[in-house]
Amino acid sequence: MRFTLVVLPVLVVFATCAALLVGSTISPADTLAAIFGGGDELTRGVLVELRVPRVLVGLGVGAALGLAGTILQAVLRNPLASPEVTGVGSGAVLGAVAGTVFLGIADQPEALTIAAVLGGVLGGASLWLIAAKAEPLRLAVLGVLVSAVLAGASLVLLTARPQLAGAAARWLVGSLSGRTWEHWHGLWPWLLVVVLAVVVLAPALDLLAVDDDHARTVGLAVVPWRLSALGAAVLATAAAVAAAGTVSFVGLLAPHAVRKVLGAEHRWLLPASALAGAACVAGADFVAQALTALVPSSGSQRIGIPTGAVTALLGAVVLVVVARRASRAQVEGGAR
Amino acid sequence: MTKSVLVATLTLLVVSVAALCLGTPLVGVNRLPAAFAGATDLEHAVVVLLRAPRLVLGLLVGAALAVAGLLLQESLRNPLAVPELLGVSSGAAVLVGVCVVWALPFPGAPLVPALIGAVVGGLITLLAARRAVGPAAVLLIGVAVNAAMQALLLTAVSLSDSREQGVLFRYLLGSLTGTTWESVAVSAPGLIALLPLALLCVPLLGVLRLGDETASALGVRADRARLIVLVVACALVAIAVAPSGPIAWVGFLGPHLARRLRPNADPRIWLAWSALFGALLVVVADLAARTVLAPVELPVGGLTALVAIVLAALVIRRRGELG
Repeated sequence: MRFTLVVLPVLVVFATCAALLVGSTISPADTLAAIFGGGDELTRGVLVELRVPRVLVGLGVGAALGLAGTILQAVLRNPLASPEVTGVGSGAVLGAVAGTVFLGIADQPEALTIAAVLGGVLGGASLWLIAAKAEPLRLAVLGVLVSAVLAGASLVLLTARPQLAGAAARWLVGSLSGRTWEHWHGLWPWLLVVVLAVVVLAPALDLLAVDDDHARTVGLAVVPWRLSALGAAVLATAAAVAAAGTVSFVGLLAPHAVRKVLGAEHRWLLPASALAGAACVAGADFVAQALTALVPSSGSQRIGIPTGAVTALLGAVVLVVVARRASRAQVEGGAR
Repeated sequence: MTKSVLVATLTLLVVSVAALCLGTPLVGVNRLPAAFAGATDLEHAVVVLLRAPRLVLGLLVGAALAVAGLLLQESLRNPLAVPELLGVSSGAAVLVGVCVVWALPFPGAPLVPALIGAVVGGLITLLAARRAVGPAAVLLIGVAVNAAMQALLLTAVSLSDSREQGVLFRYLLGSLTGTTWESVAVSAPGLIALLPLALLCVPLLGVLRLGDETASALGVRADRARLIVLVVACALVAIAVAPSGPIAWVGFLGPHLARRLRPNADPRIWLAWSALFGALLVVVADLAARTVLAPVELPVGGLTALVAIVLAALVIRRRGELG
């Protein structure tokens, strides 16, 4: 356990450095020089105004998604729960897209986050109405269906404003391109709220993850605690979506990996998931930037390989493995 | 039976005439023959060159997707085995979409890339799901494959300069915008050839329904029979996706309505009704997509998805067919 808690911060630092060093316009060597005070005006400008906020937003988004996934998996008692299979993530996207299309709030991060929160609550609530008592795999399938409806609705809304077509790719797959200090300032207050909430919630999550009766026996008011935990998860997801779009599968992957190593104690699980999520997104952004540099450049319009595409591809593989294991566990459990 | 066939034919006729008449400019039913004969230039162009190919392609694609959906659901014995959730249609869409977006000179485009994409997408899902147990797990794996495919498509779109909205929506959700007689000519022969072939698969479906053990006791190699059915379904999906994108969830709605309508019928009857419902669904949804918010055209797949997925959620909830 101690080992993991040392390894994760190291991974985060590593991913951060990699994401800072690689990118378009300036070479890694120049960037390194600029970090240590050298370099010309332009290089320093690129580093401070473009690279640093981009990496910060990536770290924040990853941490938020990791926390959201951990909370959802504990509260729903479902190892497959995560923002993307509970309708919360795509609901948040729908909220942000609706806000952009109808209210024109694309460049106001705070308003965008509020719209995303409303959408995320809507998505989560619709799944809750449909599948409150379903077992893990069925809940996941229903959640995927709800997400598909919400994502389809976002696409239909985007068609209503043809000039937003360029933004469509960002919302649907999640990208860190063009993230500036403004987006970071829109993200960190929400992240702070979520972290504070999580500090309070962590002991209760341990109990909620077992079962209601157990929690009641030790005197926990189950319903309000569960609702506030879900609220924190929705808030974290919405903040991440408003900042970078749908960065898929981080909220599933990070808590899952961490739980394998650390066990189920949320005191350790929550910070470790946040770190793992941050490392995932920063690392994925590094991979995306490096690959973009490899692809022959053809024009100025392109936004490069989206970070969310990297996490979606890796996450899909992990989801396959997890789903297979979960299905076999269910069958064995039924046979016993 | 005869009565319902009559009703179905009449509905199809009415919907087709509506699809030809409605829109801007509105062409009166009484002026349709004149428009086809080429009496007035504008109406001739609108009806014959714009609306008629769209109608024909909509009918064919709807029928093909619904039949493919029925084949998949029956052969995999999973009520939610739709092309969208098995990586078949998204595989086809990705490869065709990439060819279009990057203007790649692929031999035999768009049919060959669509076919390859559909087979590869379906294979990945089936291989990944080989050791999974239960329909829900298989579907979740299909969803993962689907998400990866869509991520690839979105990557291709964001790397290209021609970030045309049309391309994106067509290959993410399916759309009939900009259909010409050429795009009909590309896929119509294949679809018309494959639909009877699907009818030939029906006896295999009947055997597969009994379960693998019974099938082999009857002297049918279940694996081989299933493979044949799956290949036919993949081909149908690929040829339907190539011109119009994966029009979402038609492969669920068509077969489902058919089975609801005739719960105890022969699979052959289901096949016919699925085709009919699929065709009707796509044409009606397309009519709505291009008239409701005119002049903005919605992607038709968005509308079919909304209707179908709500129904799918209700089905799982009601009958507990999964898990």
